[in-house]
This record gives sequence, structure tokens and C-alpha cells, in this order.
Amino acid sequence: MARESRPLDATPRAATAEPISNFRRSLIQTPGSQRRLQGLSASGRKIAPPTATPHARAAFRTIDSRRAAIFTPHRARRKSVREARDSPRDLLLGLGKVLAKKTEPIVTSSSSPGDTPNNNRSDDDDSHETTLGPLHMSYDDDDEADLPKRPRLSLPIDREDESGSDDLVPHRSVLLENEDNYTMQSVEMPRRAYSEGPGGRLSMNSTRMSDFFNTNDMLHSEDFGRESGMFPPINVMEEEGTFTMADILSPERLESDTGRRDTGRESDFGIHVPVDLDDQTSFVIAPEVQSSPVRQPDDLDEPVYNDFALMEDQRSDSDDGAMDHGLDDFGDIGELPDMEDEDPDNAANETTTHVDIGNRTETEVLTHAQRAELRAAAAARKKRINISKHGIQYPSLPPAVVKRLAQNFAKTSGAKGKITPDAMNAIMQASEWFFEQLGEDLEAYSKHAGRNTINESDVITLMRRYVCFLLSYNLRFSSRQRQVNSLTTPFALASRHLPRELLQDLRMPPPVLSKKRRKAGEGAVPATAEEDESVT
Amino acid sequence: MPGQKLYPRATVKKIVKAHSNCSVSKNADVMIFLDYMLFMQNLVKEASIEAKKGGERGITARSVKKVTADSLAKFKG
Repeated sequence: MARESRPLDATPRAATAEPISNFRRSLIQTPGSQRRLQGLSASGRKIAPPTATPHARAAFRTIDSRRAAIFTPHRARRKSVREARDSPRDLLLGLGKVLAKKTEPIVTSSSSPGDTPNNNRSDDDDSHETTLGPLHMSYDDDDEADLPKRPRLSLPIDREDESGSDDLVPHRSVLLENEDNYTMQSVEMPRRAYSEGPGGRLSMNSTRMSDFFNTNDMLHSEDFGRESGMFPPINVMEEEGTFTMADILSPERLESDTGRRDTGRESDFGIHVPVDLDDQTSFVIAPEVQSSPVRQPDDLDEPVYNDFALMEDQRSDSDDGAMDHGLDDFGDIGELPDMEDEDPDNAANETTTHVDIGNRTETEVLTHAQRAELRAAAAARKKRINISKHGIQYPSLPPAVVKRLAQNFAKTSGAKGKITPDAMNAIMQASEWFFEQLGEDLEAYSKHAGRNTINESDVITLMRRYVCFLLSYNLRFSSRQRQVNSLTTPFALASRHLPRELLQDLRMPPPVLSKKRRKAGEGAVPATAEEDESVT
Repeated sequence: MPGQKLYPRATVKKIVKAHSNCSVSKNADVMIFLDYMLFMQNLVKEASIEAKKGGERGITARSVKKVTADSLAKFKG
């Protein structure tokens, strides 16, 4: 009703009397109310037609609000109140005010005739008779009369609101300053400010505690507990956690302290892995050193390899004769990977046997330790010369070849061709192990055949196991197509993998070998048939 | 690959000789290297699978180490 009486295009009266309320009303206008206004908005612009889509209506509304904001003359004055306007709380408050005027049942419910007037009357009859007088009268009148008058009667404030519903500006600002600040101050704002403030945690803790005890006495006791009691323990816990993490990450400490392992089984398990990994990455020799002494007893026992065993015995001999021959021998033998493990035994033997020498043995042991270190360092530094279990020196496969192979296979297997140096080291290690194993197996095959030479047939016999594995693997995919035989014979594999000149070498040998190869292929076929049956 | 040789035959021969303490016949090293290539293929394939399983980008030392024992066992005679 007030809106209808108000001029639509922003008049000075509306601006001066209630600038904010006017502005807000133009903002909050609902489509229905706009239609009532004969298609003219506050700025006199044509509003959305009733057939417009909701989006179009919304667009019109926003445009209208913008125009109203632009064309209303007292924008500058409103800027002074802009803070209040900007907060969404203010908008909500304004909305509430506007709605409160329209929706009267709310007002009536708040000051319902059944409860509050009676209570007021009963309570106030004793104490405040002066205020009760008008209340009592108005209540009697309104009980049977129209409803909208009741709010007036309940409180004088309500009456002011209704009468001066449009000039709410001062009232709202007051509200903002008082009530809103109260709610905003209530619990969280100051705490956040302290916690997010710069500076160390401990210092902030101390200041925070003092501040809290002084300022926020009104707050709950939980806050005190949280601030004072909980935070230091949390810090302690975090520190402990970091310590354990550091322990897990650093292998030295774990190795040194066995008492550390009382942290639990899982941590124990987790601990062991990185230690091994670190060892392998840092010392490539380590596994070799461990693997080789296992075989040495065989070598020493076997009379066939006495020549080579002598080479190894040189170590112990030279240990004895270190004084005689000087340290030059050690330089050569230093490259033997087996030395480190043998050192303690030899040293012990020496100390037991040559107790009479006394000082000499001690110096010897010392030199042993130093030499072992030097050896390890040298081996890590330069490309070391490997010695097989038979005591034969052999070169390692050039890393470039291995890398090229690995990259090619990595590309074909789907991964990127890039291989990290660490992975390259691991692959080199694996290939060394492979050749070791292959040599032993081939030796066993050739010896079994009564030969002293490794033939191609031996290699094929060795490969047949893997080829059979390949067959069983391929069966799942191509058993129906019968490609198995041609695909997985060693010769087919060779023709797939090897360059032509090497293939020629394979084909060139006399037919005896090819027969053998064919035999191998035929031998593989029945196996595939059996597996075919087993699979299918 | 085309210009350079695939692998040093003499080196492979020496390696096998040293490990087996046997002489290696004339062209057996080709088959040996073929076996080695199969091994490398298997190793790299398994390592890449392992790396993918572990969420790594390329083939890493960890994946290779994890797979080495397995593929060695596959190629045992």
C-alpha cells in the first residue's frame, strides 16, 4: 500500500525520506508486483512481458535494478551507507522487514492474543500499571476488531515500525551496529584472528591463552579447554610422528638402533625394505659379494679347478705373504668381489696361526680393513672386472648394448623408452645374474651330454623351457589359429629378434644343427598339445 | 641399430665361458644372446607392468628389482 502511494520514478521525496528502502524495494520486486504496476518499473522502463521466460524476467529485473541504481539521484549519499548495504545480512534484514510488513500472521503469532496479552496483563498488573493501561484497552478493542491493529498494541516499537515502516534507515544501521556485531563477535571471529595471525605457534598460544581468559570470559568453558589443554598435546604428538617418520626414512638409525623397532611389526616390515633398497642403490657390489662365497666351497673342493682355485687362494696366500710381497698384490686382488667376505675368516685364521707375530697381524688386519674400503670404493668407481665362480675374469656386457635393448623392449611393451639410471643399474645387475645362471645351466647341459663345449643344442634345450612357457602363454590367444608352432620355435624367435647377419650365422651351420633345432621344435609341439588339452 | 652391431659377440662368449668354464661353440653365442634378449624382453615387460601397477611413470629400479627374481626363475634351465 505504501508502494502504490509512492511515485514510481525516483522522486526526491522517496530518495530523501527512505533512500535505502526505496532502492531495496526496486531490487526485491517480484514479477507479480511488477505486473501490478502497469508494466513500468521504478525507473519507468518497460518491464518483462508476462509471457517472458523466467530467465528473461530475471534479466529484466537485473537491468531494472541497475537502471534504478544509476538514475536515482542520491547515489552519492547512499555510498555512505554502502557498508551496511553490501553485507548480505543487511539485504536479508531488509527483506525481512519488507516481508514482515506484508505478512501479518507472523506478527500476530509473535504477539498472539491468547498468550502474550494475558501474560502481560497478569504480570504487568502487579508491577507496571502505567504501561498496562493502554495495553489493556487496546487489547479489549482489538480482540473483536481487525487483526492488523494488534501488533501496535503489544509494543510501542511495533507501532513505530508500522507507522514509519518506510523510514527504517537509522533503525537498520543501529541494528547492524548492535545486534550484528554481537552475533559476529559471539564465538568465532576473534579466535580465527588469533589462530591465523603471524608468528610462532607457541608464542601465539601463550598470547592467545591470556587473551582468551581476559576477553572472552563470556564464552563457553570448552574454548578454554580447547585452547589451553588440547593444543600442546597435539604438538607433542606431531613431533613424535615426525620422529618416527624420520626413523623410517633414514636407514642408518634403524640399523643402529634395534630398540627402535618396538614401534610395531608393520613398521618393522616397512623398515626392512628401504634398507635393502638403499644398500642396493648405493653399493652395486653387495649382492655379488653375498652370492659368491656360497659357491666357493665347491670350487675349493673340486680338484678340477685347482688352477683357478689357486687364483683365489692367492688372496689368503698373499695375506700371509703381504709382508713379503708388499701391497702391490693387493691392488690387483683388491678388485675381487669375494675378498670382503673372506677377510674376517682370513684375518681370524691369521691371528690364530700367527699369534707370535703379534704387532704384524694387527697391522695386517688394519690394512685389510683399509684395503676393503678402498676396494669397495674403487669397485664402485670404475668398471670392475668380474670373476666367475670358476675364477675366470670376464668383462661385463657393455651398458650401452643393454640400455639399447631395454629401451627397445620398453618401447614395444608400451612404456616410454626412458629408463632411469637406477633402473639401468638394476637391469645390468639382473643381466649379470642371468648370465651367471645361464652359464651354470649350459655347463650342466653340456657336461650331461658328455661334452666340454657348449653347443647350440644346449642353448636350445635351455631355451625350451621358456619357449614352452611361451607356448602355454600363447595358447590362450592363438590355440585356434595353430600359429603356436611357427611362432614359438627358437628359430622363429631368432628370426623375429635377431638381425639378419646373426640369423645367417644361425642358418649357415651344417644340417645337423638344423635337425637338432627341428627336433627341439617338434619336441615342443607335443607339449603344446598336452597343454592344449589341459587348458581346454 | 643398422650401422652398429647388435652386441659384442666376443664379450658374450667370454662371459659364458667364464661362468660355465666350458668352451662355447662357434655360433652358440647367437642363441645365447637370443635367450638373453628374450630375458630382457620379459624383464622389461614385467617391470613396466609393475611400474604401472605401482603408479610410476617409467621403469624404475624398484620395479626392475621386484621383477628380476621372477624372470630369472623363468629362464632357469
